[in-house]
Amino acid sequence: MTDKILKIKNGDTVGSVNDLLKELLKSKKVQALLVMQEVPSKAMSFPVLISDPDKLNSNVFAPVLPVATASVISKITKVGSASKLIGVVMRSCQIRALLELVKLNQANIENIVIIGVDCLGTFPVNTYSNFPEKATPTEFILDSFKKKNDAVKYLRSSCYTCKDPVPTNADVVIGLYGMGSQKELLIQINTEKGKQLLEGFSLEELKDKKNREKAIKEIREEKTKNRMEFIKDKSNIKGIEALAKFFDKCVNCHNCMKVCPICYCKECLFESSVFNLEANKYIGKAEKKGLFKMPNDSLLFHTTRMNHMVVSCVGCGLCEQACPSDIPLMEIITPIGENVQKEFKYVPGSDIEEKVPLVIYKEDEYQEIGEK
Amino acid sequence: MVIKMEEFEPKIVGFLCNWCSYAGADLAGTSRIQYPPNVRIIKVMCSGSVDSVYVMRALLEGADGVFIGGCHPGDCHYLDGNYKARRRSVLLKSILDTIGLEKERIWIRWVSASEGQRFADTMKEMTEAIKKLGPSPIAKHWNI
Repeated sequence: MTDKILKIKNGDTVGSVNDLLKELLKSKKVQALLVMQEVPSKAMSFPVLISDPDKLNSNVFAPVLPVATASVISKITKVGSASKLIGVVMRSCQIRALLELVKLNQANIENIVIIGVDCLGTFPVNTYSNFPEKATPTEFILDSFKKKNDAVKYLRSSCYTCKDPVPTNADVVIGLYGMGSQKELLIQINTEKGKQLLEGFSLEELKDKKNREKAIKEIREEKTKNRMEFIKDKSNIKGIEALAKFFDKCVNCHNCMKVCPICYCKECLFESSVFNLEANKYIGKAEKKGLFKMPNDSLLFHTTRMNHMVVSCVGCGLCEQACPSDIPLMEIITPIGENVQKEFKYVPGSDIEEKVPLVIYKEDEYQEIGEK
Repeated sequence: MVIKMEEFEPKIVGFLCNWCSYAGADLAGTSRIQYPPNVRIIKVMCSGSVDSVYVMRALLEGADGVFIGGCHPGDCHYLDGNYKARRRSVLLKSILDTIGLEKERIWIRWVSASEGQRFADTMKEMTEAIKKLGPSPIAKHWNI
């Protein structure tokens, strides 16, 4: 692990990183870059796959996550991996999701070099595109980092309760936390791939690593505290009445499933005709209780989603963001996820060698469940 | 005259694996061993093939209990399906709490093809246990 410094030119944090990325493309270190870039209207930032350095106008600190970057990489690499290196710039939650997808054989990172960015949190899509402050969302979140204002009120709840805003498992990390006066950024090289990527770049060494370590520790503690309070506060959804009430507004659009980076089945049971019955069967169901809400599979859908996702849930909160009825899904997913992951002693996205809990087993575990 | 309250008869959905538990239930039948008729048996190829959605659907449609029967550890026809089923039931049980059901409504047990008596005994035991728990609160809920 080597820590280097990237000097911020003219106070332009975003531009300085853009210049570095441009050099990567120009020097052909990477064939293409997948990086957050503003759309021409500036109303949104999206992951854009860029091969021409002159077209690169990235904004790696854009505080928005419109789609799961991990799903995008799955899409790019699943059919066939690239023959040359692709650089991907991602936030920590998306790196975790990508690792889960690799473990589930849904993405290939052989020719991918992961450039992680310290995350300051993201705003909901609509807040980002109609930002109520004078500053742009990116300026606002960077200012908030310098304690000039408070962006917490705009943060998505999943970012407020983030599992870890500092990227782990990245080949290179672009770091903000613990870099003092914000005149420089950290460029941390973690792997051989990362070393080769930045070979030939003249970057100064970071001498004092203590500040960084301290800042990381602090932010991790703060987020964990937020998450534990959130869980304590929200774990009261128990029982069928409370659960049904929680999902009362669900319009069965399945958006939460479509945006989830972990949800990857090509053919989903809930998009199939399995639940289409003949009229007489529906009438029979109605007669059982005298009435029958239609469509009838929304609670089954959500409870099944819980079963299928929570083990690998990285807490990106895209499900909540995508809900047109504003159901605060993380209030139910976060406590269950924490619970289940603790049960299996599994931290999703932390170790690529560690298998997903549901595909492995030990012969002598949980014997009290199988046998009395 | 004392009017006898009608006793609660639980509805149990049983997923039995083709190679062991189903054959065990078959043996109980052909040996004419009596056991409570509360279980509705669904044959599956392996206990490991019972996805959570089957269990969730049974419970949401008003089943009072779900039984998953597999081969004894080490005997699985597909080597490790029963171990995976056991892990999945751990996951299922930890989510039941949120739905408002007791963990004891999901049972996973090993019954071999030669254990007709054990199958009958397990069914008796489970039916008694679910009777004690009472009817599933979900069965009464109007919009499920």
